[in-house]
Amino acid sequence: MLMFKLALRNILRSRRRTLLTLLSLGGGYLLTALQLSVTEGSYDQMLSTYTRDTTGHVQITAEGYVETPRLYDSLSLNDADLSELEAQPNVVAVTPRIESSALAYGETKSFPVDVVGIDPQREAGLSFLADKLRAGTYLTDQPDTDGYFAAMIGAQVARQLSVGVGDELVLVSQGADGSLANDLYRVSAIVGTIDSAESRRVVLPLRAAQQFYAMPGKVHRLIVLGRDYRRAPQLAEQLDGWAGQHWDDTDVGATSWQVVAADFYRTMEADKSGGQVTMVILIFLVCVGVLNTILMSVMERTGEFGVLKAIGTSPGRLFRLIMLEAGLLAILACLLALILVLPINAWFTWVGLEIEPIEFSGVLFTRYAGQMSFYVFAQPALLIVVATLIAALWPAWRAARLVPVEAMRRL
Amino acid sequence: MSTVIETVGLSRHYGSGDTLVKALDAVDLRIEAGEFTAIVGPSGSGKSTLLQLIGGLDHPSEGEVHLAGQPISSYSGRQLSDFRRDHIGFIFQAYNLIPVLSAAENCEYIMLLQGIKADERQRRVATMLQQVGLAGREDRRPSQLSGGQQQRVAVARAMVSQPDIILADEPTANLDSQTGMDLLDMMVELNQRDGMTFVFSTHDPKIMERARRLVYLRDGVVEREERRD
Ligand SMILES: Nc1ncnc2c1ncn2[C@@H]1O[C@H](COP(=O)(O)OP(=O)(O)OP(=O)(O)O)[C@@H](O)[C@H]1O
Ligand SMILES: [Mg+2]
Repeated sequence: MLMFKLALRNILRSRRRTLLTLLSLGGGYLLTALQLSVTEGSYDQMLSTYTRDTTGHVQITAEGYVETPRLYDSLSLNDADLSELEAQPNVVAVTPRIESSALAYGETKSFPVDVVGIDPQREAGLSFLADKLRAGTYLTDQPDTDGYFAAMIGAQVARQLSVGVGDELVLVSQGADGSLANDLYRVSAIVGTIDSAESRRVVLPLRAAQQFYAMPGKVHRLIVLGRDYRRAPQLAEQLDGWAGQHWDDTDVGATSWQVVAADFYRTMEADKSGGQVTMVILIFLVCVGVLNTILMSVMERTGEFGVLKAIGTSPGRLFRLIMLEAGLLAILACLLALILVLPINAWFTWVGLEIEPIEFSGVLFTRYAGQMSFYVFAQPALLIVVATLIAALWPAWRAARLVPVEAMRRL
Repeated sequence: MSTVIETVGLSRHYGSGDTLVKALDAVDLRIEAGEFTAIVGPSGSGKSTLLQLIGGLDHPSEGEVHLAGQPISSYSGRQLSDFRRDHIGFIFQAYNLIPVLSAAENCEYIMLLQGIKADERQRRVATMLQQVGLAGREDRRPSQLSGGQQQRVAVARAMVSQPDIILADEPTANLDSQTGMDLLDMMVELNQRDGMTFVFSTHDPKIMERARRLVYLRDGVVEREERRD
């Protein structure tokens, strides 16, 4: 306690220098915390939107399907299965999908397309598909009065085949049983733009896709949304156990989005560490400044340190005293800066900065958002404190090794 | 009587060749427990140097300091600081209190180093400051005390750790003569009542008179000794 008092009072002794040091350390903290907040916030926004819109957090599939999707690697599914899955802890929403390819024909032209079979209602509750209609109306489960199922098509499909809402579309492919599949659909909507991920897609009601591919009661993927995309690996592990027991006839497993979209995940992580480098450089610069201050304050007090040593302060204790002073200074700076960072970061998080919309992996971003989290505040603080301590090492070591008489001559 | 400190051929040289200064030259000195000894001599005679070497603040060029028979030159930095902490009390000419600590905290600090428990520290500080006549001024910072009062705190700080010996390098030189005499009277009293061993340097004849043993230094050599009992 006395050592703490001594350190604190030493800090407060030269007000102006302390103020300057606090400003530079606090400024460094402010910048790094905000940078981290915006980085984390943007990635957070990107990843939660991306996972929600494409992969979900966890996918339940037949074993091996994630690595190499094959038409006949499906799993059987009924409403009871869905309800049971939905009732699992940490599961927020579930939707089934069928995925394959086909050749699409318009009036005169043909074009290869990706076919996705969805449960219209469930899909709308999970992904943003329903928000991406450019024209027409969203899918319904039921065939129209002529007995045709509806299909939603991507912009590229519409352009290549010159078909629009209300037009007929023919799909030709091969069924899971090897039979020839072909059927007629009515275009109900155009989804997305030429550049979006849905551009080459034809979206059918699940029932229609099951009929088309001759796989009644079967699906390829069960998309699961959890509470937090970051906790997907844990959820995958949990659901893997459940799925293994639930489907005892086929090998079924659960995979997190980090594995499903491994390339995307790696790119994002690499991008993030790029941001960390900026942060480290910033902190390094701050600490070079602080090293100077600490060194000056130690040199100035050489005589006093001589006295402290003369009356029996051990080198180790003197070393720790100077480290304590530096550490306190850094902590104080972070705490003071935090008062400023909190409201700014709150604004970034809940209001944010409007930007020119950027599309990333088929997802559109319109603002820079911050993140209000322990990590965003703690990580820069830790870096600042550690870096300050590192900057203090050498001055502290020098002071610890002073010979008392020589040091006291400087009084 | 037991020997507290003994120096054997203790020398301290500065510079080399033509500029060699023998600040202290082969001094043999034995300090017994309970002594009240003055090191006297003209300026530059080596008084400070001798006290610094005895107190382990500097390393001798030659010779040895024995504390209770143990040679201290073999001590590491850590051992030497522990030696100073546990066996030596220092009083400096310029008081040298820790400016950011109060009178009481200055005394407490040294006991903190010794690992003494808080309540025991508080108890000892209170008694000690009382004894040096500073009751009621415990919470003053050094800058709020007069020179004489600061030096009394320094005496209390030196005493409170219960060292074997107190070394005082011209403790009264910065004080006016009356204040200096008062301080010395107090040291005499502590010596007589508690049996604390004091070695101090001075070139003030009035101060010398109070010593029971006088060691005359000249050019780094013990010229003569005088005992008054
Ligand atoms: N760091 C040093 N470098 C060179 N010479 C020194 C150093 N310190 C002391 N001396 C010399 O050693 C001799 C003894 O000095 P010391 O300080 O011990 O004398 P003193 O008796 O305490 O003098 P004073 O009464 O003025 O305090 C002097 O000649 C001094 O010049
Ligand atoms: Mg001197």
